[in-house]
Amino acid sequence: MATPMRINVPKTPKESFNPGRPASHLLRSQAVHLQEALAKHIGEIASVLAINPYKLRTEKEFGDYAKKVTAILHPHNSPPPK
Amino acid sequence: MGTALDNLQHLVVLMMENRSFDHMLGGLKKQYPKINGLAGNEANPDTTGAMVQVTATAQFEGQLKEDPDHHFPGVDLQIFGGSQASDRTAAMQGFIKSYFTQVNNVKTSRAIMSYFAPAQLPVLTTLATEFAVFNGWFSSIPGPTICNRAFAHYGTSFGQVSMDIFYLLDPILSAYERMIAAGKTAKIYYYDQTSSTMEIVNLLKNQPQLFGTFPQFLADCKSGALPQYSFVEPCYNDHTGDDGGAILASDQHPDHDVREGERFIATVYNAIRTNPNLWNSTALLVVYDEHGGLYDHVVPPACTPDGYVAQPSATNTPQAFAFDRLGIRVPAILVSPWIARGTVVPGPEDPVNGRVFEHASIPGTVTNFFLQGDAKRTVREQKAQTYLDLLTDQMRPDGDCITFDL
Repeated sequence: MATPMRINVPKTPKESFNPGRPASHLLRSQAVHLQEALAKHIGEIASVLAINPYKLRTEKEFGDYAKKVTAILHPHNSPPPK
Repeated sequence: MGTALDNLQHLVVLMMENRSFDHMLGGLKKQYPKINGLAGNEANPDTTGAMVQVTATAQFEGQLKEDPDHHFPGVDLQIFGGSQASDRTAAMQGFIKSYFTQVNNVKTSRAIMSYFAPAQLPVLTTLATEFAVFNGWFSSIPGPTICNRAFAHYGTSFGQVSMDIFYLLDPILSAYERMIAAGKTAKIYYYDQTSSTMEIVNLLKNQPQLFGTFPQFLADCKSGALPQYSFVEPCYNDHTGDDGGAILASDQHPDHDVREGERFIATVYNAIRTNPNLWNSTALLVVYDEHGGLYDHVVPPACTPDGYVAQPSATNTPQAFAFDRLGIRVPAILVSPWIARGTVVPGPEDPVNGRVFEHASIPGTVTNFFLQGDAKRTVREQKAQTYLDLLTDQMRPDGDCITFDL
């Protein structure tokens, strides 16, 4: 049977959104790496450095932290996705 | 019109997270026998000694709340079943044993043998059957994300087998830096600031100009401003956008909803597909960084060492690791209108024509194509298979290539 030329992609259920999900080891490592990179900008980010990445627990906490650090490291980004 | 390589101007790589070949594409074998997926009788022993066969019972989310182990010792157990003998055999019989050490529940540990029915993954399976699927693309290290992604950027992890920060021990530049130094264009597109990037310490820290975000990728595709080489990262965490809307992780890392990753892959594909000039001049590779602890039946083959040795203190096993064998197999698909429908690139199952790819194939392909191989790089990368020979000299008509409705 031939593949149709237009493939419908189902939407992800809204219930899948779970920023309170425990963060994976990948995200924990990402936070530590962000802290390492942040040290280069120490003069401008002392308050962010005060955050202990090892004490972050949820995806939201990790995301908030990543946003603060990335905004310093890469300030010329484009707007967030719609 | 010329040949595919005459027309090729852009290479795009989309690297997803933590799913094995059999878990995502193994179910295709039934309909497409050339795809080296699952026959259905592949099995692993559980901790009671019962043999547990693979089943098409994978769930989009909620099934792998305990992130399956994919660190070096865990993968070692999955491949070698727990043996540390010098003559041990890689039999791929330790997956359930490994997951049991985490979940401590026999029934739950069997979930590691689950795979998706093809209809559950319309994007990935359609791309695999409409373009070229690799039977033999392996993660570069039997270990976790960061060291495997390093191979995709540098052709080496500089001796790392873990998630630790790695330091550049040789004057080897990333593929992006090689491109820029040669007057070419290259960029890493991460999703947004909250997701950020996994290429942090050595790239984001020192070369922030190499980075863009996913909205910029979409805009660059639309305007025709895409660099010659682009590396795209999915969203790594569920978070609220600046407009208050929910943004779901699209990386497919367990236990993120796999459907959102499907939509992300389709979005990347459509962004290229809907610009005719870009579509005709681009090759998109969709690949996963490592297997995420999920079952695959193919034994990882040997590879050319990159000159480093990770000592037992680094591998956290009794054995050193000389980077002389690959990690577990992952899904990899090459997309271009210059690829014949239904191309299956044979892997180790074909002793005559089989080819072995790994993440060092990525900088290898980029460097060979755009820079004619002119860059300092590891022997490992130099020996890695490249993939642009899969492009034919016959471009498929526009109406012969699918589009995704999102």
